[in-house]
Amino acid sequence: MIRREVAIAGIGQTAYGKALPGTAWDLAIEAILAALADAGLEPADVDGMCRFAPPFEPVSEPMLVRALGIPELRFFAESPLGGEALGAVIAHAAAAVMTGLARVVVVYRALSQSTGGRFGRADRGGPSGAAVSDPQADVVVAEEDNRSFAWPYGLMSPGQLFALWARRYAIVNGLTDEDLTRALGSIAITQRAYANANPSALMRDRTMTWEDYRAARMISEPLRLFDLCLENDGACAYVITSAAMARSLRADPVHVLSATQTISPYREPMGIYVTGELLELFPPATADRLFADAGVTRSDIDVAQFYDATSYMPLRSLESYGFVADGQAWRYVTEAGTGPDSPLPVNTHGGHLSEAYLHGMNGVLEAVRQLRGTAVNQVRGASVALVGAPAGSATILAR
Amino acid sequence: MAIIPGMTDLTRPYWEAAREGRLVVQQCPACGRSWHPPLPACPHCHRAGPGWREVAGTGTVYTYTVVRHPTHVALADAIPYVIAIVELTEGPRVVTGITGCDVGDVRAGMPVRVTFSAVTGEVTLPYFEPVA
Repeated sequence: MIRREVAIAGIGQTAYGKALPGTAWDLAIEAILAALADAGLEPADVDGMCRFAPPFEPVSEPMLVRALGIPELRFFAESPLGGEALGAVIAHAAAAVMTGLARVVVVYRALSQSTGGRFGRADRGGPSGAAVSDPQADVVVAEEDNRSFAWPYGLMSPGQLFALWARRYAIVNGLTDEDLTRALGSIAITQRAYANANPSALMRDRTMTWEDYRAARMISEPLRLFDLCLENDGACAYVITSAAMARSLRADPVHVLSATQTISPYREPMGIYVTGELLELFPPATADRLFADAGVTRSDIDVAQFYDATSYMPLRSLESYGFVADGQAWRYVTEAGTGPDSPLPVNTHGGHLSEAYLHGMNGVLEAVRQLRGTAVNQVRGASVALVGAPAGSATILAR
Repeated sequence: MAIIPGMTDLTRPYWEAAREGRLVVQQCPACGRSWHPPLPACPHCHRAGPGWREVAGTGTVYTYTVVRHPTHVALADAIPYVIAIVELTEGPRVVTGITGCDVGDVRAGMPVRVTFSAVTGEVTLPYFEPVA
């Protein structure tokens, strides 16, 4: 078990923006140097790296060791499946440090969606971002993870996928359209308010009322524009070392208590052919293991950062991780809420909906700030935080 | 411009059947169970080389979404359209589209039956429409 054996010694990020100057490579370098400086370390100290596997992460280890002058990496690992890599990269980094395969492991994620693929643009070739050279030519979808059975019907984006999930949630729990709107809107509006206090947030200066939320156009029913995450450029990085080394580097290291990754049939991104209910965002047994490995209970969690490609995901995460009973989160978020004074503040940076989209990595950085006591929307006395992605990928961190 | 499935040896029988106006799913010749999408072996008893069975082409809407913003230039003229998961009478679920009714009339649990739409000379997509 990881339980406090390793720690996050430094965090770093770039500005987040709609079209930042520079490539993903530039952004990765900036975030990594910031994380190393935060830890009091130099590039020459780095001997391990963990990243999201391509095609998600475009910046490779060879690019970084060349550009940063890192003499040698002796451990590097890539985790597949997009957002589902969020817990995996920290688990791999922890395993490397605990087994002595590496001493200083950098975890990073860099995006340049202004130059690469975006989901929200209808004028190009879908999620691949490819320019369409011949508008008359048919698009042949190569078979990979069953996408040749989905794309021809126009099912191409996580937003559409989670619209299908959200509708099923409403069907199973007997929600009216208004019930679902109020639940999803509560998440989106609460996260926007957090972002309005966050200087890093893309939506810092854009407040959102219920009227604004309801008036936004439907993208894929029941999801409206503000139920969907942002698309942007930016990079995040953090540094994992042994807990002892982290304590020698800084007074307030953030310890890793546990980290999980799993894969089950049809749990991959866009995997929609589960034979059970289309509701299991995070396997209950894995959630139990996440808490047991950490040696904490759900009531110990002071703040949670849930992966939010759409507003539906934090809603269902409250149930999937066991904070709220199945079928009750839609009511819970409209009554108790997820704001600063709620039992469990969620996505206190604004999340993917209103801070920026960094594949969940900005949620890790926010958890670290909360546990250091330096967050802009600081949860008073926060000592244990959960960062949770779908499909069994998560971590619990503590002061 | 259409978005059409690339085919592999594993998936081609599904699309060839659709072109002939038949909806098929894989079935294990040993244990008799069916599933979709196709796999190289039975996920239950692990027998290699599953066969195919024709299904009735009936089922119900398991979940659905009305898409009002295109994610690909090829879909710009298709807006609004319905993506649905249909649970076939035989059990397996398929990703499909719903045609033959207003996009606002699709409901969960709605009985539907297959209809075939020739997208190109080579490719026919199974869609579903409400049972009258």
